[in-house]
Amino acid sequence: MFQVRGLVKSYGPLRAVDGVSFEVRKGELYGLLGPNGAGKTTTMSMLSGLLAPDEGTILFDGADLAVHPLEIKAQLGVVPQEPALYDNLTARENLSFWAGLYRLEGKRLRGAVDRALEQVGLTDRAGDPVKHYSGGMKRRLNLALGLVHSPRAVLMDEPTVGIDPQARLNILEAVRQVARSGTTVIYTTHYLEEVEQLCDRIGIMDHGRILAEGTLDELIRRVGGRETVTVRGAFDAEAVRARLAALPGVQSAASENGRVVLSVESGGSAVDLLGRVLAEGLPLEGISIQPPSLNTLFLNLTGRELRD
Amino acid sequence: MRLLLLLVAKDLRRKLRSPLGLIGALAFPVVFAGMIALAFGKDGGVPKVRMLVVDEDGSLLASGLASAFGSRQAASVFAGRTVSEAEGRELMENGKADALLTIPRGFGRDVLEARPVALRLVRNPSEGILPEIAEQTVGALADILDGGRRLLDRPMQTLRPLLDDRAAAPADADVAAVSLAFKRAIEGASKLVLPPAITLESDLFATSAGGSPSGGRASAKPSGSSLSAIFLAVFPGVAVYGLFMVADQGMRDVMTERTLGTLRRQLAGPVRAEAVIAAKAAYTAIVAAGALIVLALVVVAFVRASVSVPGFALLSSALVVAVTGTTSMVYGLARTEREASTLGNMLFVAMGFLGGGFIRIEGLPAAVRHVAPVTPLYWGVQGYRALLESGASVAGVARPAAILAAMGVAFLAVGMAALRRAARTGASA
Repeated sequence: MFQVRGLVKSYGPLRAVDGVSFEVRKGELYGLLGPNGAGKTTTMSMLSGLLAPDEGTILFDGADLAVHPLEIKAQLGVVPQEPALYDNLTARENLSFWAGLYRLEGKRLRGAVDRALEQVGLTDRAGDPVKHYSGGMKRRLNLALGLVHSPRAVLMDEPTVGIDPQARLNILEAVRQVARSGTTVIYTTHYLEEVEQLCDRIGIMDHGRILAEGTLDELIRRVGGRETVTVRGAFDAEAVRARLAALPGVQSAASENGRVVLSVESGGSAVDLLGRVLAEGLPLEGISIQPPSLNTLFLNLTGRELRD
Repeated sequence: MRLLLLLVAKDLRRKLRSPLGLIGALAFPVVFAGMIALAFGKDGGVPKVRMLVVDEDGSLLASGLASAFGSRQAASVFAGRTVSEAEGRELMENGKADALLTIPRGFGRDVLEARPVALRLVRNPSEGILPEIAEQTVGALADILDGGRRLLDRPMQTLRPLLDDRAAAPADADVAAVSLAFKRAIEGASKLVLPPAITLESDLFATSAGGSPSGGRASAKPSGSSLSAIFLAVFPGVAVYGLFMVADQGMRDVMTERTLGTLRRQLAGPVRAEAVIAAKAAYTAIVAAGALIVLALVVVAFVRASVSVPGFALLSSALVVAVTGTTSMVYGLARTEREASTLGNMLFVAMGFLGGGFIRIEGLPAAVRHVAPVTPLYWGVQGYRALLESGASVAGVARPAAILAAMGVAFLAVGMAALRRAARTGASA
């Protein structure tokens, strides 16, 4: 459905998106995972037609977005990171307006509004002005506004940022429902667990590039079955990294934020390494072992953890 | 068209849900003009200076001076009253008078004999500007008396013995000689003082303003009290200024939507930036037109002024285009909401002063009067003044309406282009 080829976008000397290419198939839930500043939102802005790329093309069902912007935008739904709502209108009035923008009228419009309210669980509060909503309710309405016209594809840009766990679960469940209905979804986030739970395929993004792409299993296999041992303590991390890198079984070692992160082969190597690290007599504050994960992959690809 | 209506209906609904800003902008001209009218128009006119005169002399000249404050000419400014000294002091202490003038004993005689003489004025400090008016007026009277005495010195010398109580009745020849002397003195001075070089004209309500466009009917001025007349004298200026504030709120909504993220969301849909901006201009024009109707109803309901309806409609339509164009240009050229707000406030206040929004154009310095026509506010004010004060018809307001429309279209063209660019930039930010 989406074919993205060689997207480039620069702001002055900063190359925010640097040659991004990927494909999203019809009905697929595609996740773009990356830290803040990776270029996810800029990529989404270009996909939604708000920003013209400096280079590259975006095809939607074979049609070029640069050539047919209005026709393609009419088939897309957009869910921005921050709720974009009219606070002094009710949820129903907000939905009716946005549905109207997508050419829905009369009975079709009213039906679409009712369905969208039902979908995000706001039917009983539909007549309340949005300014009286909680943050979570606003997020749900924000999602509903992107779905009310039953788009063929929805672009969701970090829709769960800054909300409480319960509201987040509600949003994720609504996203699952959208995907189950056959709508194509491109979902950006910097939460590993969200892409692990939701997405059919994942693109890992950093510094404006897609570093790896595939299903969750494919990506974890790329880690090569390695486990991660993280060592914290009151020590000079760089000096300790050099000492620990020389220990048997250590594939790679990195120091960051006062910690030393070691990559080891899975299958008992991490436990063996634990004993050797303790034998070094370092002033330790903590050691943890992580099984192979997307975070491990991100660490291997970038030399830093995703949460940083 | 359907899309345009949808966008405008949404904006109007939002405005009706939060109308406080609009009400404030609408109330401003009514409250401002109303306060001015109440301050200066109570009791059917400008508040009068309550002037007490204590005549210790009792001479003919002193009586003439005392009665000057009660004369027909002075009646519009002074409420004069001759009192005893004790009564005068008591009234002053009780705040029932603005000033107390004492004409000292021997005043008439000293004037006739060209001896120095002093009038004594006590002002009431708690009564604001009115005692100042009394002081200035008495000062002017003293100057006039002094000038008159010097001019008529010779005939007065002839007259003085005849006024002596003990003197016998003057002979016809003496009276004729004194009359002749007075006549010659006045004829000699008249070459110097007549015709008067400086005159004061008031055109507050009845006359056409200098340079103001007029034509058509003889007069549409209100027949009500001076309170309503003062209201109408002030109202056109502040009403046009208020209309700019109303339009400012309309166009400001582009920036508000940019901040809300709803502009970005609209442009992510199947909507062109041109349509969004055109809808915002249409919304601004509708709100401004509604505001004008409300302000016109205020004039009709409370002041009972009658104006040419076609003239009002023509001028108002042109003004709506002008305010929409001006505000769209301001918001198109500004990069942020704060920048637009600062730029808009500066521009509108400057226009208010330069264009005669707050002070009638005749009261402004010549340099400002020359600059005033470059502001759309000036033409709006002049047009409404012509309608209200001179009873102008469509022909009478055609010129200001044409200039307003031309300015509005030019500003709108600049503003729309700039806003379209700003909308795209804002959407991609």
